[in-house]
Amino acid sequence: MKFVIEHLSKSFEKKQVLRDINFTFEEGKIYGLLGRNGAGKTTLFNCLNRDLKVNNGNFYIEDESGVRREVVANDIGYVLSTPTVPEFLTGREFLKFFMDINEKSIQNPKSIDAYFDSMSIDPEDRDKLLKDYSHGMKNKMQMLINIIAQPNILLLDEPLTSLDVVVAEEMKQLLRSLKRDRITIFSTHILDLALDLCDEIVLLHHGELEVVEKTDLDSKEFKDRIIAALREEENA
Amino acid sequence: MHKTLRISFSLKNTYRVNGILFSLKQIPLLKRLLPAALYKAKGLKIFANIVSVLWEVVSAFLGKFLYFVTMVCGVGILYKELPENAVFLHILLILTVIGSFMNTHLFNPTKDKYYAMILMKMDAREYTLVNYFYSILKGAIGFLPFTILFGMDRGVPLWFCLLLPLCIAGMKLTYAAITLWDYEKRGFGYNENKLSKHVWGCIALLLGVAYVPPAFGFVLPAVVPMGIFLACIPLGMASITRLTTFRDYYAINKELLAGLTNQMDSTARAQLVKQVNEKKISTDTSITSSRKGFEYLNELFVKRHKRILWNSTKKISYVCVFLIAAVLVGIYLLPEGKPAINEIVMTWLPYFVFIMYAINRGTNFTQALFMNCDHSLLTYSFYKQPSFILRLFQIRLREIMKINAVPALVIGGGLALILFATGGTENPLNYVVLIVSILCMSLFFSIHYLTIYYLLQPYNAGTELKGGTYRIVLAATYAACFALMQLRMPIMIFGIMTIVFCVVYSIVASILVYRLAPKTFRLRT
Repeated sequence: MKFVIEHLSKSFEKKQVLRDINFTFEEGKIYGLLGRNGAGKTTLFNCLNRDLKVNNGNFYIEDESGVRREVVANDIGYVLSTPTVPEFLTGREFLKFFMDINEKSIQNPKSIDAYFDSMSIDPEDRDKLLKDYSHGMKNKMQMLINIIAQPNILLLDEPLTSLDVVVAEEMKQLLRSLKRDRITIFSTHILDLALDLCDEIVLLHHGELEVVEKTDLDSKEFKDRIIAALREEENA
Repeated sequence: MHKTLRISFSLKNTYRVNGILFSLKQIPLLKRLLPAALYKAKGLKIFANIVSVLWEVVSAFLGKFLYFVTMVCGVGILYKELPENAVFLHILLILTVIGSFMNTHLFNPTKDKYYAMILMKMDAREYTLVNYFYSILKGAIGFLPFTILFGMDRGVPLWFCLLLPLCIAGMKLTYAAITLWDYEKRGFGYNENKLSKHVWGCIALLLGVAYVPPAFGFVLPAVVPMGIFLACIPLGMASITRLTTFRDYYAINKELLAGLTNQMDSTARAQLVKQVNEKKISTDTSITSSRKGFEYLNELFVKRHKRILWNSTKKISYVCVFLIAAVLVGIYLLPEGKPAINEIVMTWLPYFVFIMYAINRGTNFTQALFMNCDHSLLTYSFYKQPSFILRLFQIRLREIMKINAVPALVIGGGLALILFATGGTENPLNYVVLIVSILCMSLFFSIHYLTIYYLLQPYNAGTELKGGTYRIVLAATYAACFALMQLRMPIMIFGIMTIVFCVVYSIVASILVYRLAPKTFRLRT
């Protein structure tokens, strides 16, 4: 499976944020999306998730035999940096609701408690209202909902910022274990995190996507190259 | 000093001008025409500047004019038997006392103070004093033409009319000095927008003293207010020393403006609204649901928001029952009022559009829906599948219709009962139309609010209200209902019009929602 974006552009009034995005993402990899503040990372995600209407361009999923099909809502899981969960439900109720309405699309469903276990959410927290969950727990809940349905594409918008070190490490492990059979695109400002977790580094600048080849660079040289590429924007 | 005044002016002006430009940008059609670099555009800036300066001048006089026309002289006309000058001075004196602590400028938490002293770190003492004396001066100048105009008209000597603005300023200065002294003694910060119960009691008492005794033929002889007013001039002058030697202006302002931070920052304000809404969620752990899927979600939502949905609709219904019973008892006790009430019920149906508007829970429902449910679920793609959006729309519509229908049935039934008790009507169909049309009004508002919520979803991910069109539709709804209040029409005609309108509206709304909601029901970005 491939996820192909072609000539995607998006502008707000006269400001062109995404100029001409052309990229092919491949299954089984975690892509680290880097870009400076205001480069348009969140805009790109919002466009892919169809929260924003694009001005131009297209994106679709291409299977092994090269057949293209439109991306539907179920293909995408989108995890935001500030986790949002329906405050009036308990963790268990949210999960039950989600599994109820997606019963057809969830393959090999597990029991609700098994899902909680997989996220290391404590038994005593499972029946608390989500409004009383801590930031980290809300984040786990959001991640859990997004991965149960096993989306083909997982978009993560700085999901590990503001998590404590233990939860962040758990999340990293989880993402590594999930990368098979899907495309994970991970936006972050933390270069070391991107280098540690991601298989490919993709830069968003000048409103375009471009991959940074690692080839035979060591990690210091690779870092320098990324910074240089991003800095170049200032002089452009 | 001169520089401080200039800076505070240009600061106030800048945010006023930007405020004007910002509101222009909120108007849906105008928004497209205005350039993105709006705040840089010279022409618009000049226009907004003119508006802003005009406002500064107009506001100095307009308020004072209205004050004299209504509160002082307008009410004064009622006391015909008493000497005009005494009534004028009596009322003016008491109102000035009230004004001296309700309208202080010094203890009014305003944005310009926040910008200047807290954000821009201007010298608090200098900024406060310069602006305070400016406002006192502006007030005195604003008063002058009207003390002369209205004072002489009421037989107050010219020399005193000329001194009156100074007397009023003196009283304000005196009160300010006393408050500062009190602050030094007790450390208690005064805020004119957060008055205590005692202060409100004092205001009520003073208003009573101003207006009640003249109604019974008692008024202070003119010399008394004149004496008190004149005494305020030396007192005020002495207070100026107190004000200028006071040192803790920064501390006072810091305390005064503390509450403003939340209002200033739109994200913080939105956060606050969000928290308020979260508090509405019932924490009762016995609440469960045995349903499935969306019905499960809906049932839990309604049960956990019972307080703002069902409980309030019940309260409204009880009040309606009580009022209807009161009218029925009234009719029983005063049978001669029957024809008048019968006439009212027969022709005042349009009035009830406004009442149904006022008691509708639609906006509370949609706000809670967004804040506590959709705000988060809309970030999940599964939730945005067209079939799911429509399914949930149906369930929610059913729910809000049920909630609103209870008081509607009470009011409709009650009106029919009143109509019957006051002598009835020749055409029995009137009863049916009455009940059905009131119910239709309630259904209309239920559909209306939910439809515009689904079509114009006005909030962004930070729970800020962003949609200009949504606000305009809400305002237009209010205006239309308000206008209908003035209309008198027989039940039959207006009732049938209402029913037809409601049916047509529901059909159109359903079509629009089915066509558009899957695209429009999104978080704003």
